[in-house]
Amino acid sequence: MSTAQPPATDFFNSYAPQRGAFDELFQDETNVRPHGQPFVNRVNILGRDEFSRRWEMAQHTIQENGIAYSGYATPQDKPRPWALDPFPVLIPASEWYTVSDALKQRARVMNLVLRDLYGPQTLLTNDVLPPELVFAHPGFRRSYHRQIVPYNCFLHLFSTDLLRANDGHWWVVGDRTESPSGMGYALENRIVISRMFPDVFHQCRVERLATFFLQVQETLRSLSPQQRENPHIVLLSRGPTATNYFEDLYLARYLGYTLVESGDLAVRNRKVMVKTLGGLVPVDVILRRRNSDECDPLGINPASHEGVSGLTEAVRAGNVAIANALGSGLVESSALMAYMPRLCQVLLGEDLQMPNARTWWCGDAQSREFVLNNLDGLVAQPAFRRRGQDDATFESIRSMSMDELRKEILANPHEYAAREKMSRSTVPVWQDGLGRSNVALRAFGVGTNDQYLVMNGALARVSSGPESLEVSRRLGEQSKDTWILSDQPVKHVSLLDEPERPIPLRRSGDDLPSRVADNLFWLGRLLDRAESTAKLVRATARLLVSEADVSSLVELPMLIRCLASQGQIEPGYALPEMRDQLPPVEDVLPHVAFDSSSEGSLRAVLNELCRLGSIVRDRLTRDTWRIIYRIDERFRPFERGTTNLSDILTLTDNLLIEVTAFSGIITESMTRTQSHRFLEMGRRIERSLQILDLLKHSLIPLPERPGPVFRTILEISDSLMTYRSRYLANFRLGPVLDLMLTDETNPRSLAFQFLKLQEHVDYLPREKTQPGFSTEQRLSMSLLHTIRLMDVEEIAERHRLANDGNTLLALVEDFELRVPRLFEAISLFYLVHARPAHQLAEIAPN
Amino acid sequence: MKYDITHTTKYTYSEAVPVCQNLVRLAPRSLPYQSCHHFQLLIHPEPFELDQRHDYFGNQVAYFSIEQAHMGLTITSKSEVEVHPIPNPEDIATPAWEEVVLQLKNGRTSETLDACQFVFGSPADHEQTALTEFARQSFPPGAQILAGVRDLTRRIFKDFEFDSQATTVHTPVEEVFENRRGVCQDFTRLQIACLRNLGLAARYVSGYLRTIPPPGKPRLVGADASHAWVSVFCGNAGWVDFDPTNNTLITTDHITVAYGRDFQDVSPIQGVIVGGGEHMLEVSVDVVPEGPPLR
Repeated sequence: MSTAQPPATDFFNSYAPQRGAFDELFQDETNVRPHGQPFVNRVNILGRDEFSRRWEMAQHTIQENGIAYSGYATPQDKPRPWALDPFPVLIPASEWYTVSDALKQRARVMNLVLRDLYGPQTLLTNDVLPPELVFAHPGFRRSYHRQIVPYNCFLHLFSTDLLRANDGHWWVVGDRTESPSGMGYALENRIVISRMFPDVFHQCRVERLATFFLQVQETLRSLSPQQRENPHIVLLSRGPTATNYFEDLYLARYLGYTLVESGDLAVRNRKVMVKTLGGLVPVDVILRRRNSDECDPLGINPASHEGVSGLTEAVRAGNVAIANALGSGLVESSALMAYMPRLCQVLLGEDLQMPNARTWWCGDAQSREFVLNNLDGLVAQPAFRRRGQDDATFESIRSMSMDELRKEILANPHEYAAREKMSRSTVPVWQDGLGRSNVALRAFGVGTNDQYLVMNGALARVSSGPESLEVSRRLGEQSKDTWILSDQPVKHVSLLDEPERPIPLRRSGDDLPSRVADNLFWLGRLLDRAESTAKLVRATARLLVSEADVSSLVELPMLIRCLASQGQIEPGYALPEMRDQLPPVEDVLPHVAFDSSSEGSLRAVLNELCRLGSIVRDRLTRDTWRIIYRIDERFRPFERGTTNLSDILTLTDNLLIEVTAFSGIITESMTRTQSHRFLEMGRRIERSLQILDLLKHSLIPLPERPGPVFRTILEISDSLMTYRSRYLANFRLGPVLDLMLTDETNPRSLAFQFLKLQEHVDYLPREKTQPGFSTEQRLSMSLLHTIRLMDVEEIAERHRLANDGNTLLALVEDFELRVPRLFEAISLFYLVHARPAHQLAEIAPN
Repeated sequence: MKYDITHTTKYTYSEAVPVCQNLVRLAPRSLPYQSCHHFQLLIHPEPFELDQRHDYFGNQVAYFSIEQAHMGLTITSKSEVEVHPIPNPEDIATPAWEEVVLQLKNGRTSETLDACQFVFGSPADHEQTALTEFARQSFPPGAQILAGVRDLTRRIFKDFEFDSQATTVHTPVEEVFENRRGVCQDFTRLQIACLRNLGLAARYVSGYLRTIPPPGKPRLVGADASHAWVSVFCGNAGWVDFDPTNNTLITTDHITVAYGRDFQDVSPIQGVIVGGGEHMLEVSVDVVPEGPPLR
C-alpha cells in the first residue's frame, strides 16, 4: 500500500477538455467534477506504473476472452478483439435515474405504438401518425398484425442511443427495439474493468449490472404461455457467421439459456420444438436475436429461406412467446422519432421526459421542404431501418453530393429522414497516453407494459471524431464501461442468488441439439488430428536436426510417407525417385506446417479446430476456450526472421502441451453428458484412423532394419515408455503390434478406441421399445470383437517371415473400411435428421 | 351467373416428405357483387391440423400441416359462387386522378386508410422511372381517373403481347416492360407498378376467368386457369377492377378470390417441405357455369 499521496491532478493533469464542449470528467480546464473525484483520487494512488501494468493484464484478458464482434466466419477471418478503453464513463446515480425514468417512459410509448399498429390502428384513423409512415415501412409485414402476445406486450428488451449536448443535457438519438444488441458487451466490459480496478470499483460505489440481468430472466420467465415454473427458454441466434454471435454466446451462458439456431427448431402441431438427440423437446419462450423477417419462411417472408417454418402459427396459437414480439422493429425508425413528442402526449397524456434530437421525416411535405432547404445543417438518414444494411446505407448517403442527395430525397421521400447535427460530450481515453474522445451511450431496458427497468450502466462507445458515432457501429471504434455512481452503499446482487424455486434433479443431456452434437463430434476429431499431426511434424523435425547423417536414417522415409499421405507435404516426397527432384524436406517443412492454404497442413488443421471451437463455444468452459485461443495464437511463424526446424520443434512441443491440456479438461471437467460423448466419439474415431494410417505407412512392407521405425511409431503413439518398461530396448514386431493394436489397457491402442466407442454408442439415446441392437451398436461390437479375437503373435510371425505385408495390410484395410461405416451410422441416425426445409413451387396465374 | 369451381393442385415427390406446412388462399371472397355460397377444402393425405381464418386483407386463408411421411399432396378446393352484374362505373363521373392522389394522402376514413396501403408495394418494389413515364401518357393533368386507367389498360393490351413462354413467376416487372410480353400476372404487376408510381392505389386480384369454348365446341374440363387482374381505387367510385390481359372491366365471367399488394400476398398455395427430392406439379381448374345441363 502506497503511503505517499501524489497530487490529485497527477494522472490527468495533461488532459485538456475541449473548450465549449461538455466534458464528462472535468467541469473546467483544471477541476474534476465532484462525482469523478473519488475515482481520480484512487487512480492517482495507483500511479502510472501500476496502472500500466494492470492495463496490460486487462488487455491480455480481453484478448483471451476473445470478445469479438464477429465470429470465425472463415479461418482467415480473425475476430477483432474488442477495443476497450480503461477509463469508465462516470455518471452520478441521481442524474442517471432521471435518464432511466425518461427511457422507461419512452419504452412505454413504443410498446403502445406497436400494440396499436399491430391492432386497431387508431393512431392512423385519429391522424396521429401519417399512414404512409406505416405502409411504406418495409418492416410492416401483414402477418405480424393481430398476433397473440402475452399481456398484449410487444416490447421486452430495448436500447436507446444517447448523447450529451454542450448544454449538459442528454438527448435520444436512436432507438433499438427489434433485438437490441450490446448488453452482452456492456457486461463483458464491466467484468474486465472491475477486475482491473477492484479496489477503485468498490470504493466508488458503482451500481451493479446483475439487477438488470435478473430482470431479463424474470421477464422472460413470466412470458411462458403455460406459466411454468421452469419454462424452457432458448436464445435464437443467427449463428456463427453473424456479427453478434459472441454476444449471443455470452448472453446464453450468463442467462442460462440454450443457444439455438433456426435449423435447431421445428414447428410440430403448432408448437415450437428443439431437435435434439433424444427427439423433439418443446420450447416455451424464445429470446429472439434474429430479425423478425428472417424468422418464418412460410408465414413471414417466402423470399427468405431461413427461419423456422410455421413459427407465426405457433405464436398465433399462443403456444410460444417471443421476446421481442415479431415485428417489434417497426418503431425503431428515425421517421418515427419525428412523431415521438406527439405520440407521448396522445398515448400517455404526458410530455416526453427526455427530448429526442429534432428529426424530420421527408414523407411529410412540410418536413421535406425544411430538410431540402437546410440539408447542410442536418444529418440525413434512412427513414426506416433495414437491419444489416445500416452501414451501407449510411455510407451511400455520406458519399452523395448535396445535389445528388436532394434528387434522391425528391425521388423517394418516404425513404429519408434528417436530424439536427449535435455535438457530443468528451471523455478522457487512454492510448499509450491520455487523449480525448467523443462519447455515445447505449442504454438498455427490459420489462413489460408499465414495468420497465433500465440498466444501471451502459455501453459507451468513443471515437476521436463525433461523426463516426452517428452510425451504429464501425470498425476501429473503442468502447468503455459506464459506472453509475451511487451516493449510498451498493447492494450486492448476483444471478446466483435466485429465489428458491423447486427444480427437479436432472442428469440427462438428451436435449443436446443435433447440430451441436455434430459440431462437438468434429471438434473431437480435429483435436486428435491436431495431436497426431503435430507429433508427426515434431518427430520429423527432431530427426532432421539430429546429428545423424540424414540419408542413413531408415525411419525418415517412413515419416515422410506419413506426412505425404496426410497431405502435409507434397505426395512426391513419398516416392524416392521423385524426392530427389524436390527441394530438401528440411527446407520445406518449416513453411508447409504454417501453410493454411494446404488442407492437410498442421496450420489448416488448427484453423478448423479453432473454427469448430468457436462454433460450440457455448458448450465449452472458459478455460477450454482459452486453450483453444492459445493454440490459435501461439502456433504461428515468427514475425521477425525465418522460422527454422528447431523453432518448429519448440512450437510443436508447446502446441502438444496445449492439446494435452485440452484433453485433460475433457477428461477431468466435462460432465458425462451427450456433449461429452459426441466429443469423445469423434476423438476415438479419429485416433483409430490415425493409428491405422501410421501402421500402414511404417510397417508395410516391414523395413530391413525395423528397430528405429518401431521406436519412432511408438513414440508418435505415446507408447514408447510403456514399451521400454516392459521390453527394455528389444524392439520386436509382436510386442509393438500388441501395444498399438490389441492392448486394451493402453489408451493409444486400437482396441482401447473400439472399447470406448462401444461404450459410448451403447449410451446413445434410442427407442427403448426397439428390439435387438441398432446399426451403430452392431458395428461397434463387431469392431471390438474382431480386435479381441486377433492373435498378434501369429500375425507378427507371418508378417515377419513372409514380409509381403498381406496379412497385416488386409487387416488394416478392413478396419479402415469399417471405422468410417460406424461414423456414418451414427451420423445418419443422430446428426443429419436436421435436414433443411425448402419451398414448394408456386403456381402463377396465366 | 352461378359457378361450380373445382381447383386441384397435385404435388408428386420422388422421395418421402416427413413434414409439410402450407398456407392456402383458395376461397372466393364475398363481395357486394359476388356471393360465395359454399366452399370446401379437400386435402390428401389428411392434414394433422387445419386452421382457417382471414388475413390482413380480408382473404380467407387456411393453414395446415401434414406430419406423417407422404409421397404426394393433393389440394382440391370446391366452391359455389354467384356473380351478379357489376354496375357500370362509366355512368359515374370520377374525380381527376390528382385529386385521388391527394385523397389517399390526406384521407383518414377507413376506406382511404385501407386504400393508402396499396399505394406502396411490398418490400420488394422500388421506383422505376421509365414506368412512370409510360404511365403519365395515360394521365395528362386533370384527366378523370377512370378514363386514365381505361387508357392505360388499353395501351398495355395493345403494346404487350401475350406469351406464356416469355416469363416465370419471378420475372421482374422491368424485364416485362423491356420485352413487352408476358402473361396475365405480368400485365397486372406492370399496371400496378405504373399506377403506384403516380401515387395511386392499386391491388393485385387473384381469381378465375370463365373460358367460353368456340362456337360448336364442347367446354374442356380442367382446362380453365387461375387469372389475375388489377383493382384501382377511384375516389368516390370506390374500387374498380380492370383486366389488362383482356382490355376490359371485369364482368360476370370474373370470379374474385383474393386481394393483395402483389402475388405474394395472394399466392394460392405456399408450402415448406422437408426432403421430397424432386417434385412434380399438376394443376387443373374447372369453372362450370350452372344452368341448363351440358349436353
